[in-house]
Amino acid sequence: MTRRSLYIALGTLVLLTLGSSLLSFSGVWAKWPGAAAVVVMALAWQKARIILGKYLGLVQAPAWQRGFDVALTGVCLLLLVLYLAPLGL
Amino acid sequence: MTDQTRTALDDLPGDLLMWVLIISELLVFGAGLIVFLSVRITDPTGFAEAQNALNRTAAATNTIILLTSGFFAALALNLRQSRRRGGARVSLVCAALLGAAFLGIKGAEFASKAAQGIVWDTHPFFNFYFLLTGFHAAHVAAGVILLLLVAWRDHVGNIEDATAFWHMVDLIWVLLFPVVYLLQ
Repeated sequence: MTRRSLYIALGTLVLLTLGSSLLSFSGVWAKWPGAAAVVVMALAWQKARIILGKYLGLVQAPAWQRGFDVALTGVCLLLLVLYLAPLGL
Repeated sequence: MTDQTRTALDDLPGDLLMWVLIISELLVFGAGLIVFLSVRITDPTGFAEAQNALNRTAAATNTIILLTSGFFAALALNLRQSRRRGGARVSLVCAALLGAAFLGIKGAEFASKAAQGIVWDTHPFFNFYFLLTGFHAAHVAAGVILLLLVAWRDHVGNIEDATAFWHMVDLIWVLLFPVVYLLQ
């Protein structure tokens, strides 16, 4: 892993965190909770992928990275469905 | 190792046992988050009211602190692999200090809840809040000690294992943060 890619990873992670936090402070949540939840979970999913790939080095093992991606996607989708269930969406 | 004796497990970066630990911890916290959201289905209004007592700004700040700490941990391994031991040690200490800052903010958050009379059995939301974030904070505390230990005993393998543990702590938090603090 090059140092440059670590800096890019950190910058992306911070931007994604700011994005999800600003969304939670905005009025979007009151109007479209389902859409806001989808965006927040998608940002969390992307952050987890960056940590697995860049910080934990799974980019060097593409087959394992795909496996972790599938499992992570499944967990994030399940969490999203459980959140959306009471909204009746 | 010849190509015939290579297995898929050899492709994993770092120590296999660390990956077993990472997957185990992800399963434990993943199960906790799934149960949390399942219980929320029975009382979404009560959960939303309880969640409003949390400090989202402090949690977002803590997320950025922990992610930056993860960056210093990854940088430390990179520097140590390039034989820059001094730089690696400084990076590990920076990572540990940011971990300690995370714990400080988390401690202040818990103290603020206690001052408001909010304890673990105030509402089912707080059962999960204290259990999940408290268990995660215990991992952060263990990680800070590990980072300082490997800054002292700075063999590449030691740094690889300690930083993998630290990234696992990061990984758990990026899933815990939106579910506990942001999904309103």
